[in-house]
Amino acid sequence: MTLAARTWGRMSLTARLTAILLPLAVLLAVGTVVGIVFILPPTMDFLGANMPLVRFVVAVVGILVLTIPTAFVLIYMELKVIARMNLRVGPNRIGPWGAAMSLFHGFKVLSKEDFAPTGADLTVFTLAPVVTFLASVMTLLVIPFAPGIFGQDLNIGVLYFFAMGGLAVLGLLMAGWASFNKYSLLGGLRSAAQIVSYEIPLTISVVGVVLLAGTMSMNGIVLSQSGSALDWFAFKQPLAVLIFFIAATAEANRTPFDMTEADSEIVAGFATEYSGMRFGFFFFAEYVNVFIISALLVTLFFGGWTAPINWPWPYNLNWLDAAGIGILWIPIALVALVVATDILGAAIWLIGGREWSAPSAFGLGLLIAGAGVTAAVGLACFIAFDWVQGIFWFFAKTYVFVFTFVWMRGTLPRVRVDQLMGFAWKWLLPASLLNLFVTAAAIIILNQPVIPR
Amino acid sequence: MPARPTRPTTRAARAETRGETRPQEPRPPEQHRSEDDPRIMLDRDVGADLYEPIPPYPTRTEREGEFYTRGDGEMFINIGPHHPATHGVLRLVLKLSGEQIVDVDPVLGYLHRGVEKICENSDYYHVIDQVDPLEYVSSLFQEWAAVLSFEKLMDVEVPRRAEYIRVLSGELLRVASHTLYMGFLALDLGGLTPILYSFIERDEIVEMLAALTGARMLFNYFRIGGVNGDLNHEFMSRLGDWMSRAARQTEANAGLLNENEIFVRRARGVGVLDRATALRFGVTGGNLRAAGVPFDIRRAHPYSIYPELDFNVPTRLEGDSLARYLIRVDEVRESIKIIDQCLHNMPDGPVMAKLPRLLRPRPGRAWGACEGPRGMLGVYTISDGSDQPFRFRIHDPSFLNLETVPTLLPGNLLADTMTIVASLDPVLGGIDK
Repeated sequence: MTLAARTWGRMSLTARLTAILLPLAVLLAVGTVVGIVFILPPTMDFLGANMPLVRFVVAVVGILVLTIPTAFVLIYMELKVIARMNLRVGPNRIGPWGAAMSLFHGFKVLSKEDFAPTGADLTVFTLAPVVTFLASVMTLLVIPFAPGIFGQDLNIGVLYFFAMGGLAVLGLLMAGWASFNKYSLLGGLRSAAQIVSYEIPLTISVVGVVLLAGTMSMNGIVLSQSGSALDWFAFKQPLAVLIFFIAATAEANRTPFDMTEADSEIVAGFATEYSGMRFGFFFFAEYVNVFIISALLVTLFFGGWTAPINWPWPYNLNWLDAAGIGILWIPIALVALVVATDILGAAIWLIGGREWSAPSAFGLGLLIAGAGVTAAVGLACFIAFDWVQGIFWFFAKTYVFVFTFVWMRGTLPRVRVDQLMGFAWKWLLPASLLNLFVTAAAIIILNQPVIPR
Repeated sequence: MPARPTRPTTRAARAETRGETRPQEPRPPEQHRSEDDPRIMLDRDVGADLYEPIPPYPTRTEREGEFYTRGDGEMFINIGPHHPATHGVLRLVLKLSGEQIVDVDPVLGYLHRGVEKICENSDYYHVIDQVDPLEYVSSLFQEWAAVLSFEKLMDVEVPRRAEYIRVLSGELLRVASHTLYMGFLALDLGGLTPILYSFIERDEIVEMLAALTGARMLFNYFRIGGVNGDLNHEFMSRLGDWMSRAARQTEANAGLLNENEIFVRRARGVGVLDRATALRFGVTGGNLRAAGVPFDIRRAHPYSIYPELDFNVPTRLEGDSLARYLIRVDEVRESIKIIDQCLHNMPDGPVMAKLPRLLRPRPGRAWGACEGPRGMLGVYTISDGSDQPFRFRIHDPSFLNLETVPTLLPGNLLADTMTIVASLDPVLGGIDK
């Protein structure tokens, strides 16, 4: 036995803990100081020097992470809303009101076998869901969520969006071809025909907006709609909104244009042979697509993150921002939370009498106080910060349209392939060209000075 | 002394020393091929791999040979027997050119049990529950046809109250069946909601019939000479509840589809079954009436108390899927009228005729037919004087209706398959028997 081991054997528990924790604390303190003094500044300098790159990486990671809750919320919403329209209850077992359903849906999909049929072209078969998913997700990069909160402000944002969105059809076609299944093949062919056809009216209907805004940057388009709800392009381009909405439904493969996965005709279309997480990617992409299409509709026609009404707040809360109290609001909110919890918990405990044990009384107090403090902080942030308002309005508007898509799914049957194509080429395309022509003519005529200066 | 030859070790070698040589056959090379190797079928000289829905044997008939010969740019696709849109286990082999159907080969028999033969080995009483699962959506009518045939065979007088109860329960089930039809038609066209509304209606009717008969689906309620059990309180109260809003609810459910532009566009002019073709194929029921022939067994060959009741036979001239759908909606309205009249005129009295416990009809033959939701449901019985039918044959309307599919489908698109098949309303239990 060595000396160290013998010494350790003689030490009491407290002494042992101290022997472990004290050096650790010292190390941590020294490390923090060294980190703040010596490591942080050069790191920040390095990041600052590569700001565009850092911004890009953060944006990509951010939108990839954003897709997960988005898809979960949309799947749950679809299950629940359509259930209500069908006079059913919908998921109600997992989590409160079944809210954790999509999470467990995800676990289920992850745990399933990744099956590939005999005769499938494995490389293409495996790549197809990835292409579809990435093509959908990457379009999120140019959407402005709030003032200053966007992936990249490309000056060809709209073009980028349609270019990336158009890539999704490649994934579907790959899936349809590589599955070695005729249902899949038909689904892939249908998706190619459908998406290529609807891309044209979709793009042309947006050109009117681009003409009005004078820019293809998404931020620029949102800014040119700022003011009130009356400044939205939806009122200047009502026909374009209609065309865009219909064509976008077809682009996102949603009912009544879900030809590619018409379950009563071609079983599941391009996704027939997919299972496990490969199918999960398609599933994810579909719901993310719905969100993206709604977001684009809001950005282009319904003012993006701008508020529909301006409501000047009489009190100035600017002191909440970084130049004012900064991040001091966190300890202030925590103290408020603790004080409120104590007061409420004590009150409940005293008034409630014997039925309330101390933990349950203070637990309820914590719940109420937490809700109150969260609401207060949220309201304060909403009033004080533009970007909080922007995010609120953006998501509120977007989810209105997401709901509309879900509503349509619960209501409408599916159109037939030839009707679908006929509608695109005979009605939507001429209408979108007409819209473009009228918009361009109006801009030329109205921009002429009426009285020569 | 010569060296003793060593004894041969193997049995074959010992046999050889005795002069018994066996001719050596060259063994065929081992084939280690998995059954899902797509090339395995290439050896069988049918020009297809395992993933083609082509039968793995030489063609048996001229028609089969013609169908399974692929033209330029054509492909086979297999719809069913397990497919979301084939009602039951119908299998359709479609020959497609792009999305357009060139030809179709329906394959039946996945649900065949030989019920007719089973019935020939059952007592007359047992036949009723043997035929129940055939028309599983509206099994009372299948019982009714058998019972009508047997009653003709035995000259049984059915009490009037029993006749009223039969008509009442039968028309209720007709409403249930037609409502379900509307929902499934919408589901096959991609609408998610109407089917749930339909099932609510059907569930209420089926629950009230369960109160009357004791079962929700396979009722086994009609008897030779009457019905099994009189009306009871629960049935009447459920029926009253339902009747108070049946007409309104029917209009609401039909309104989900009638006024839906997409539905109307997809059903109108699709699968036109003209009058001559319908008559040639022996189509009956709503499908025939949608083609303009006002043929309804309840009026053409009246049975039970139908001559006393006031109802119309709805007819349409178009003969397309939309007409077939609208005929069903009209028939639901007429059925509700009939139920109302039954409730108002329900006589008192027994619900069973007095019959011997052992039924032995005289030798003879009888044809009994009733108007089921899908058309004329008939039963032809031959008696040899024993307590079991000598011959028992079922005429199922779904079978004849489905026979028109190969003439209706070609030229349409793949998506129209679902519209046409669903609008003909086949029930595979009755077809495969």
